[in-house]
Amino acid sequence: MKRKNYFLLAITVLVYFFIFAPLILIALTSFTTESYISFPPVGFSLKWYQNVFQNKTFMEAFQLSFLISTASTVIALLVGIPGAYALSRYNFKGKKFIKDLFFSPNMVPQVVCGFALFTFIIVRLRLNVRVALLVGLSISVVTYAFRIVGASIESLDYSIEEAGMSLGASRVTVFFKIVLPNISSGIVSAFLLAFINAFNNVPLTIFLSGPGVTTLPVAMMSYIEYNYDPTVSALSVLLMLMSFAVMLITEKLVKAGK
Amino acid sequence: MSFIELKNIDVAYDGKKKILNNLCLDIEKGKFISLLGPSGCGKTTTLRVVAGFIEPNNGSFLLDGKDYTNVPIHKRNFGIVFQSYALFPHLTVAENVAFGLKMRKLAKDEIDRKVSEILKTVDLGELGGRYPRELSGGQRQRVALARALVVEPELLLLDEPLSNLDAKLRLKMRVEIRELQQKLGITTIFVTHDQEECFSISDKVAVMNGGIIEQYDTPEKIYMRPSTEFVARFVGFENFFPLEKREDGYYCGGVKFAIEHLPESCGDQPKGTIRPDDIVILDRPDADHNVIEGTVTVRTYLGKSYQYKVATPYGDLIANGPNTKTYAAGDRICLHLPAQKLVVV
Amino acid sequence: MAYWLLLLPGLLLILLFLVLPILRIVLPTFVGESGLTLQYYKDFLTDSFYLKIFLRTIRVALVTALICVVLALPVAFYISRMGSSRKGIMIALATFPLLTNTVVRAFAWITILGREGILNNLLQKIGLASEPLKLLYTEGAIVVGSVYLFLPIMLTSLVGVMENISDETLEAAQSLGANRLVSFVKVVVPLSMPGVIVGSVLVFAGTASAYSTPLMLGGNKNMMMSTLIYQQAMLLDNWTRAAVIATVMIVTSYVVVGVLNTLAAKLGEKSA
Repeated sequence: MKRKNYFLLAITVLVYFFIFAPLILIALTSFTTESYISFPPVGFSLKWYQNVFQNKTFMEAFQLSFLISTASTVIALLVGIPGAYALSRYNFKGKKFIKDLFFSPNMVPQVVCGFALFTFIIVRLRLNVRVALLVGLSISVVTYAFRIVGASIESLDYSIEEAGMSLGASRVTVFFKIVLPNISSGIVSAFLLAFINAFNNVPLTIFLSGPGVTTLPVAMMSYIEYNYDPTVSALSVLLMLMSFAVMLITEKLVKAGK
Repeated sequence: MSFIELKNIDVAYDGKKKILNNLCLDIEKGKFISLLGPSGCGKTTTLRVVAGFIEPNNGSFLLDGKDYTNVPIHKRNFGIVFQSYALFPHLTVAENVAFGLKMRKLAKDEIDRKVSEILKTVDLGELGGRYPRELSGGQRQRVALARALVVEPELLLLDEPLSNLDAKLRLKMRVEIRELQQKLGITTIFVTHDQEECFSISDKVAVMNGGIIEQYDTPEKIYMRPSTEFVARFVGFENFFPLEKREDGYYCGGVKFAIEHLPESCGDQPKGTIRPDDIVILDRPDADHNVIEGTVTVRTYLGKSYQYKVATPYGDLIANGPNTKTYAAGDRICLHLPAQKLVVV
Repeated sequence: MAYWLLLLPGLLLILLFLVLPILRIVLPTFVGESGLTLQYYKDFLTDSFYLKIFLRTIRVALVTALICVVLALPVAFYISRMGSSRKGIMIALATFPLLTNTVVRAFAWITILGREGILNNLLQKIGLASEPLKLLYTEGAIVVGSVYLFLPIMLTSLVGVMENISDETLEAAQSLGANRLVSFVKVVVPLSMPGVIVGSVLVFAGTASAYSTPLMLGGNKNMMMSTLIYQQAMLLDNWTRAAVIATVMIVTSYVVVGVLNTLAAKLGEKSA
């Protein structure tokens, strides 16, 4: 396979370069001493990172994004874990329909959801935009709960639940004392993935912004419209570090689970 | 009234084919009975009905006179050993065993005492702090047993608990399980497809086929005097040939055959059957009864014996002869079916 | 009975806050002054401005999916032949970008494709261009950004499928006279079709409904359905039109996924 190897290797290297070069580029531009985005960067400075932390809009947006992503992820899990359990352990009429329904948020474009929720929650129900954000993000990430936790449950030997029942535990006790501890790494994985996707969401949140209520990605987009400077690069690097941390923890969990 | 009574149990999924068909079974207290049969015969389903995992469509399950049919699983107080052992992966051995006691809300020191006692009984005294994934197959099996027994259940249910062990361990463990059962005097239902395993340790065996119990008897009776063709084939009988039932006995080809153990009942088309090993091969019709003449068609060397396929007026019969005297294909021989070994199904 | 309780929160959440709001905006688009009508849709699809945007969306999504397939096939094949530890690293590397923000990824391409961007500077420096090329705010830029966004998804989808093609299958092909290129085209590619289709569905749907990428890289002159819906709904307060766009997007999404899934099922039958 020698000749093919070099050809395939070359393509693979090129593709991976394509995937990573832009990100590395931004990372490099974030350290420049110049006041515009330059490559190669001139000098080394952390002032753009300082800028990020001193930017009130960014800080408030980060806080909002963080809190609301956490809250929606929790909701998604509270809804998704029992749902995934029911789908995995029970057989009933209409199961396929409900399964499709639970995975339907994937089929509807996020912008459509954003617009729909805007008209319903903000305009019709006149509720605070944060409610809409919370609900919208919960729905958009609930599929992670279903899929990842569902996979964990499927791989759990059902007879340990039967064993628990035969030893005197009610179904509820079995769920909390036997099922949950054994799918904990699946739950944490789902949490992290859902969190990061809620945090990064743009198409939904763009419809659900208001005065003082902007998520970080939206704030970033607005900033780029009027300012083209390395602050954005620095912020990008910080966000990438956050994603990287999420990835590391998830990988560790997947390994520990095995 | 027996300790355990299964009356007219029907189990069918979605009204389709019945997995269990009007099943009835009585078990005496303290006895070890096995459910034996090929896969799909319904033995595991029967066990799961008793355990409460399956609700029967019809019928009832009584324990000591009390109707348990609708009692929820966690209220039944039965000890169950699963084929996969079903140990809780997130708990240590000791915590696994203690689980049932915790559910019964016993005091902590009593739990600790009972756990260490039972672990010692099953020879796992040192391993209380380990996790299931750190144990061997045989060790896990013993944890499963300990966990089921420590709660002093009224009934012990074992679903093919030995099938995941290697041959040597299987022999060792089946004896251990039987000894433990006898020591504790606990009524036990054991499901298996392995004939030798089940015959060696059971008080009674229920041979199952297609959702019904074909014969429920001691291992000796099942082995020597199967009551149906299925059971006979299952325990190694071959050579099924038609018999004619007349008022004074059974006739084959117009000749009355002597049979020592007459069946209690049989269908309208009785068949005679005998094990290949039990047929006596003669050069000439020396015996005065139960003789069939035939021609050897195939001879196979089995090591300890020769096996002959013999063409007779009643079909091909298979007989095993000693490896000292041999017959060749084409020889005419006589097959004597001793009255004590001949069975009617 | 217990399972209904477990499913209830999920059902409520999705029915009340997804199905209901969407029905509320979709259904009125079929009701005109005198009852049921498709007038709004006729108006939308016959207006060249909107039709252009609709076709652009489909075009960009198709081209993106195609490019992703072409790029990912050889790479996925190469990865699928690796030992499991290296494979794991490669897949982890490929999926890391999926965790980064779309704004960050689009921003990266702005810095590269802009008039004073890295690519233009490079081209001018080495003399390939005498003045900055207009690379940004073009349809091509959207395609590049979308490929950048969804290539990892196509990769993981294909690697998953190709892992199941054993080395022996390829060796058999070669022993029968196929050289490496031919065996790739005639054996690997057909066997990978389920993965190609699944990946294409995801890439197509994702590209057609992405927002930040077309906005930041295409600008207002190259709108796609998603940026259009925002403009109509939030900037122009034209909710009816926005609802029409929304419905078209949903229908397109379901139709494309449905068609591709049936295709995948038919292929699945053939190979089964």
